Amino acid sequence: MMSKHFQSCIPIQKEWDIVAARQQGRDIAKKIGFGSVDQARIATAISELARNIYLYANKGQICFDYLEDMEHKGIKILALDEGPGISDISKVMEDGYTTSGGLGAGLPGIKRLMDHFDIDSEEGKGTEVIIEKWLR
Amino acid sequence: MRIPILKLHNYLLISIQTELDDKTAIQFQEDLLNKIHETWATGVVIDLTSVEIVDSYIAKILGDVVSMSDLMGAKVVLTGIQPAVAMTLIDLGIHLKDVPTALDLEQGLIKLRQELEE
Amino acid sequence: MDKLLREIVLENSDQIVKKWLEEIERKQVRAYSASISEELFESTNREFVNVIFSSVEKEGMLEDLHNFSERLIQLGWPLSYLTEGMQAFRRVTVNFILERSEEVDSKQFAEILESVDQWIDPIVNFLVTEYSGNWENTLSIQRMALQELSAPLIPVMEGITVMPLVGTIDTERAKLIMENLLDGVIKHNAEVVLIDITGVPVVDTMVAHHIIQAAEAVRLIGASCILVGIRPEIAQTIVNLGIDLSNFPTKSSLQKGFRSALEITGRRVVDVGKEDDIEDILDSLGKE
Repeated sequence: MMSKHFQSCIPIQKEWDIVAARQQGRDIAKKIGFGSVDQARIATAISELARNIYLYANKGQICFDYLEDMEHKGIKILALDEGPGISDISKVMEDGYTTSGGLGAGLPGIKRLMDHFDIDSEEGKGTEVIIEKWLR
Repeated sequence: MRIPILKLHNYLLISIQTELDDKTAIQFQEDLLNKIHETWATGVVIDLTSVEIVDSYIAKILGDVVSMSDLMGAKVVLTGIQPAVAMTLIDLGIHLKDVPTALDLEQGLIKLRQELEE
Repeated sequence: MDKLLREIVLENSDQIVKKWLEEIERKQVRAYSASISEELFESTNREFVNVIFSSVEKEGMLEDLHNFSERLIQLGWPLSYLTEGMQAFRRVTVNFILERSEEVDSKQFAEILESVDQWIDPIVNFLVTEYSGNWENTLSIQRMALQELSAPLIPVMEGITVMPLVGTIDTERAKLIMENLLDGVIKHNAEVVLIDITGVPVVDTMVAHHIIQAAEAVRLIGASCILVGIRPEIAQTIVNLGIDLSNFPTKSSLQKGFRSALEITGRRVVDVGKEDDIEDILDSLGKE
């Protein structure tokens, strides 16, 4: 299970968990040294991912990890659920596509907020989204 | 935890001081509409200076508040949206085009008057 | 490096050097060094070959090479001078050794080639790394300088500010500009921002997109934008590309934009009756 490689995880089951996850993400981002604008971007991306889990999968988790290479630091976030999965990923990555009928920023929006975005999903099995942001 | 709504003549003033979670936001929407109904207020200023994170859901609730209040005869102006919040919303593709905005409470009241005169 | 090969090379260094200089001349390596004098070219060649040989003697101590290449970089010598020189050196050395051997079977030939390669390749790699490291360094310094060029928001009058945009606007710079813009609006309590793009050479779909995003962000925080400095070519490009600026008031010059800004903030320019002064002067002259 992917989440074993991550530093810490927050389960997403109740509505309040969405706030807990984004606050945790914000704290970590602050610790790494991200400015206030990037902190907002990271926290919002986490909020969107957590909300997706809460709305569509009922249960899942958001995991955090620190990134570090020779010159840069960053944050890595995993959003994992065992929900219904996405049958057509390319459709979901289209701008403007939304199933909840709301403003639903959706996955393309989350992608724009971060530096890296990766999604893996299988119908009936679940979905895994990994996002990263590097400190410039 | 409910968000306090203050009354100033025909206007309602709200300063959101806390991190907005879903429940609080929905409750606020309800409280505001009830207050508009009670007081026959014609203008509302919602100040978001202390709000650091607005995701798509909260943005939708705020947008809806504006439309719903309008239906009830009150104009709403959002003030004090922080740069970090604005940039994040733009990145998400959320422009809140139909929502009047102003820099602060003062400008917000001026804007309200303009909106109400139209 | 192979001991035998090393001995041969060091003993016959003079000959190898002579052949190398001939090769360099022959291959017209100096085609790109037209601005360099004959003497300088020759003396640099000699220094180059000495540095190569000292790396043989010192068995791979690269300090001399490092100093040499650093100087060449500073003086602006092209990297190709060094790489072609090294390639010529490889050819000359292999040929020299092969001429010396009476009989060479394919195995020995392979060994000789390998030996020479093991000597020459690290040097080439080192030189390329030095040069490209220098390029990357220069690039990042320039990038930082360009970012610092990002103009801060200039407060002109109560409630009116100007942001002059200069240079190309890529995604990274656009983010910085937006941040500056929004922070500045709040800091100066601006009602109107005049975004001046006179200094932006190219406005394509991407640049227009960034400017529009910035204007949307400004609107969100409660101020408004006017785009000024639209040259005729830019106007043509914008329409031809089908970019929609209908939500965005625009003016051709900063002056016109400023007048609009004044209107928006409820003010206008009033002449302070200079004409009256002149009339007074004329009157007083008449009375004398």
